[in-house]
Amino acid sequence: MSLSDQELKELKIDHELDGIGEVCPHTLNIALDGLKKASSGEIVVEVTDHSIATKTIPAAVKMNKLAEHLGTVKESGNYTIFLRKL
Amino acid sequence: MFTIEVFILAAVFGIIYGFLLQKADFCFVASVRDFVSVKDSRIGKGVLVLMATAMIGWGLALTFGLASLGQVWAVPIGLNNLIGGILFGIGMAIAGSCASGALYRSGMGYLQFWIVIAAMIAGNLLFAFIYDPWGQEAVMEPITFTENGFSLYQLGLPFMTLPLIIVGIMILIVVKKFGVSGFLQGVKNSFTDWEKNPFKQQHWDVRFVAFLLGITATIQFIALSSISVTGPETRIGGVIVSAIFGDQIVYNNLYLNNMFAAYPAVGLGPEETLVIFIVVGAFISSVLSKSFKIRFPKAKRLPSAIGGGLLMGVASRMAPGCNIANVVAGVGGLSIASVIVIIGMMIGVFLVTKYYFKMPIMLFYREKDAA
Repeated sequence: MSLSDQELKELKIDHELDGIGEVCPHTLNIALDGLKKASSGEIVVEVTDHSIATKTIPAAVKMNKLAEHLGTVKESGNYTIFLRKL
Repeated sequence: MFTIEVFILAAVFGIIYGFLLQKADFCFVASVRDFVSVKDSRIGKGVLVLMATAMIGWGLALTFGLASLGQVWAVPIGLNNLIGGILFGIGMAIAGSCASGALYRSGMGYLQFWIVIAAMIAGNLLFAFIYDPWGQEAVMEPITFTENGFSLYQLGLPFMTLPLIIVGIMILIVVKKFGVSGFLQGVKNSFTDWEKNPFKQQHWDVRFVAFLLGITATIQFIALSSISVTGPETRIGGVIVSAIFGDQIVYNNLYLNNMFAAYPAVGLGPEETLVIFIVVGAFISSVLSKSFKIRFPKAKRLPSAIGGGLLMGVASRMAPGCNIANVVAGVGGLSIASVIVIIGMMIGVFLVTKYYFKMPIMLFYREKDAA
């Protein structure tokens, strides 16, 4: 499922993670740690300026059935990656 | 060799490499780390396509006489290949990028990777000043087993024989895993992953980019030289110290003196130009796709950037060569030493992933464990 930017921004966020200034693998580890703390169905978002994280995080959570990637909003050079824990 | 045309050609190659590396976010560290930790093989597949393209490219260049066996980059074989590879793998995993990755990310505005590059150059110089006076005899010579390098092309087989066999085996493995239709679908996807304007598109398919990188490297091999990053960076370091302390510091150091042996003076040549323009190419690419941003690193990450970069700089001289020289020019040239270096790099990245970052190694988990 991939939601529009507007739909993503209207979601109620349960956990917001700060990945600004981080690079791999920290951006991925922040997401994995955040998902560990979340409950099933909760929305976890990571804000990052590391562009490749928009590929690695969705791929990792999908491959390992940890979360659903709902979409990514790009604004002012930052990326907000929306995940729903499975 | 040092005509203006050659410098322009080198700059063009650099821009193409930088543009392509940025377009795929082609990170060699991620190709190993993400595969073993979270089973993400996306970039790993790109590295395999790059190796396959380089092998076919080098084989064709030699077959048609566009390049000679003497141009193939194959360095002496020894324990230094493995140790250098492992240390380089550890360094790049800690620093967060490989040698080429640091260049294209610098062009994207990551200040952290400017620091990594500076630390790598410092590491290159550190190696040079250890090598002479005592490192050569005390360390390097005892662990280097052969005087010359060895390329499998030297076996005397028709040049295309081994590339076709190796690439054929790679394709058979893919077909066995994904089926013929899955393989063909993958090829089709890699060539058709386009949005409206490719130049403004943030990411291109990594396999397609790898194919283009392999072709570009083959053309460079024929027209200019084998691709390398850390050798030219060492010369850039030599130029910097000579500007500060005078040319004699370079001439009096055996290692640095050798690095400039084919140069008319201590200065920047075509290969250094190429490396500098990789940053320019990545800058152009990231501006077009609106991915450029001055990114400030977190202060707590700076020790990793400096320490990892220093280790990469020393290890790249020991191995010798960085990720891109060994994966492209080394594998393309069927160099035995490069295969050992690459195995070492993979070991190094794995060790850091498991024991330094303590990431889950999901590659070896059963599905219920991973979930």
